[in-house]
Amino acid sequence: MATKRVSKAFKDISLSMKPHPVTKDLQVLKNENAIRRAVRNLVETIPTERFFNPDLGSDVRGLLFDFVDFGTATTIETQIYETVYGFEPRVDNVKVFVEPRPDQNEFEVTIQFDIVGQAVTAQEFTFILEATR
Amino acid sequence: MPLTKFANLDFDQIKTSIKDYLRANSNFTDFDFEGSNFSVLIDTLAYNTYISAFNTNMVANESFLDSATLRENVVSLARNIGYLPRSRRASKTTVSFDVPFTGESGSLTLKAGLLCVGAYDNTSYMFSIPSDVTTTAPLVNSAGDTNGARIAKFTDIEVFQGTYLTKQFVVDGSLDQRFILNNPHIDTATLKVRIKGPSDSGIGREYTAVSNILNIDSTSEIYLLQEVQDEKYEVLFGDGIFGKKLENDTIITCSYIVTDGPDGNGPSEFDLSANLRSATDTPVIPTSTVSVVSARNAQGGAEVESLESVKYYAPRLYSSQYRAVTARDYEAIISTIYPDTESVSVVGGEELDPPEFGNVIISIKPKNGSFVSEFNKQTILSKLKQYSLAGINQKIVDLKVLFVEVTTFVYYNSSKVTSAETLEKNVSDAITEYAGSLDLNQFGGRFKYSKLLGVIDGVSDAITSNITRVVIRRDLRAQLNRTAQYELCYGNGFRVIISGPPSGRNIKSTGFKILGEAETVYFTDVPNNDMATGVISIVRQVNDEVLVIKKDAGTIDYTKGEVLINSVTITETEKPDGVIEVQAVPLSNDIIGLKDIYLSFDVGNSSINMVKDTISSGDQISGVGFQVTPNYVDGKLTR
Repeated sequence: MATKRVSKAFKDISLSMKPHPVTKDLQVLKNENAIRRAVRNLVETIPTERFFNPDLGSDVRGLLFDFVDFGTATTIETQIYETVYGFEPRVDNVKVFVEPRPDQNEFEVTIQFDIVGQAVTAQEFTFILEATR
Repeated sequence: MPLTKFANLDFDQIKTSIKDYLRANSNFTDFDFEGSNFSVLIDTLAYNTYISAFNTNMVANESFLDSATLRENVVSLARNIGYLPRSRRASKTTVSFDVPFTGESGSLTLKAGLLCVGAYDNTSYMFSIPSDVTTTAPLVNSAGDTNGARIAKFTDIEVFQGTYLTKQFVVDGSLDQRFILNNPHIDTATLKVRIKGPSDSGIGREYTAVSNILNIDSTSEIYLLQEVQDEKYEVLFGDGIFGKKLENDTIITCSYIVTDGPDGNGPSEFDLSANLRSATDTPVIPTSTVSVVSARNAQGGAEVESLESVKYYAPRLYSSQYRAVTARDYEAIISTIYPDTESVSVVGGEELDPPEFGNVIISIKPKNGSFVSEFNKQTILSKLKQYSLAGINQKIVDLKVLFVEVTTFVYYNSSKVTSAETLEKNVSDAITEYAGSLDLNQFGGRFKYSKLLGVIDGVSDAITSNITRVVIRRDLRAQLNRTAQYELCYGNGFRVIISGPPSGRNIKSTGFKILGEAETVYFTDVPNNDMATGVISIVRQVNDEVLVIKKDAGTIDYTKGEVLINSVTITETEKPDGVIEVQAVPLSNDIIGLKDIYLSFDVGNSSINMVKDTISSGDQISGVGFQVTPNYVDGKLTR
């Protein structure tokens, strides 16, 4: 029986749990999409939330209740940078930009990074952090 | 790769197994990275597996008496072998008092419940009686008016610390009806169960508690008790085969005392606070203040039996089958009937010198204090009778405590400590901890010299060495102003000190006075030529001179470690309670608690001396001026 070769590409499951429209199979995230999702998961995980791994995650959620100013933005930047560097070995050259928007009571976060060992362009994704309660 | 590592029980091991499986069998790759979605799923799966494994492990543990940890389970497993863990016990004492009152009633009744209030340590404790007590109340002037002054004398009323409570149940005949006494901290020894059938009058018949079904038939009026959840108790009745079955609408009245346990030990002065009733059940008010006299301090209060105790005694009581035959049987049974027991030593009379065939000698070390009161001794002996073999007599003798005292010289490097006082305190704490260890403080215990040296050396890196001397001590309880002989057994050989000056002086005592001698005198010893025996003398010290008051005051056996004092009349002792402390230097620094000797490390009388190690500290590296400490005791005459 021939040995099945597994691609070195990154392949993760999608937690949306929606079936694929054509194959009706579970949807998958590949390569840069998978990594972007992982970075986002790390940032949104609260430390102590993961079983037996209390250091994983960042305290960004807690910082959302501080003043929306450049001071808090810098702290969020540091937190995200350290989290991604500490727990995501697939990325390099991480840059984090956090812009406070006091009028909307939110922060705009932009994360840039290169994927290690993959011939893809530098990745960038942006999301809004907003205290919802 | 199949999932076959069933022995992996840790979270990390389980997670690694799942990852290994996925690595070989899946198209997905990201499970190795903590941020991935797959990692979240694996974490959840591993956690679920981990909890299941933990629960399975707990269930297995809780199924066996040795490994169970929850009280409910330990008690349930002990119940399977017929063991009822001892409940919390109320401290008790006996009180006597006279109640003066006026009226026609020829008797006076103390109603069950609060009787008096005692205070101890700035706290008041209620003392109650579990049942009514009635006595006659004769007229003070027997020829006078029948409505005149009377005195009711109540003598030796046993009172229990705690609150008297009653609970009633009505039998409804349903199969699932349970009779659970809802209060924790009940002293089950005070429980009284009365049963009033639907056609009965009065307060009902009192049922008796039994612990097994021997000699029980279908008409026996008995109940059984079992501990259920949260240290509460359930009362069980007969089923019509073993024990009388209760009819529907029967009223069960349970009365008991809820107690503070050991906290209630101590009060000796009480104020009456009783519910007094005349023969016609009307309240009676004393015409003057009633003075309550107690025979002794309230004592005997104890916590509910601990899990360790249940695990230890349940199998032993089962193996003893409620019969005191071997020494282990006595140990199990005595701790059941006298909950204040810390340690028990039982020696068959045949092992004594001279032998006492047919006797069993029992020594009990109570949890608080060193001696069991005469009252408690009689109680224990009478309860033991129902377990013991016919023809065997039990004797409870006072504890023979052998104290071990040490004098230690601790050498320390001054450059490694900030203060010698702190180091001394640490050494003291370490010695105190060792003194509380299980090596000591028990019958058959052993003081291990090298272990103590190790404990002292291990306190800090700053300690370079220690010189530790050991002496053993027994307390002689003198019969003041009475001529008596005394025997002190140490159970450990004595060192014969022959090098002088002066020879002897192994035995040293605290001061005392004897009849015909005004000054304080001491015991000392002089070895005979055989170096195995010697003479005990009573001496007095005048400046540096030793004056022998009584040369042949007794004998000493250095090999056996025995001191015999001939007839002497001691009139006074330096130490309170007629105690003369008699110390000796042992032949071996390891001390054993022989037979009925209870070994105790006396930290209070031990001393710690901090000595600067001038060599290690760098003050005098040549050793000149180093303070040398002798290993042997000084030649002083007295303690």
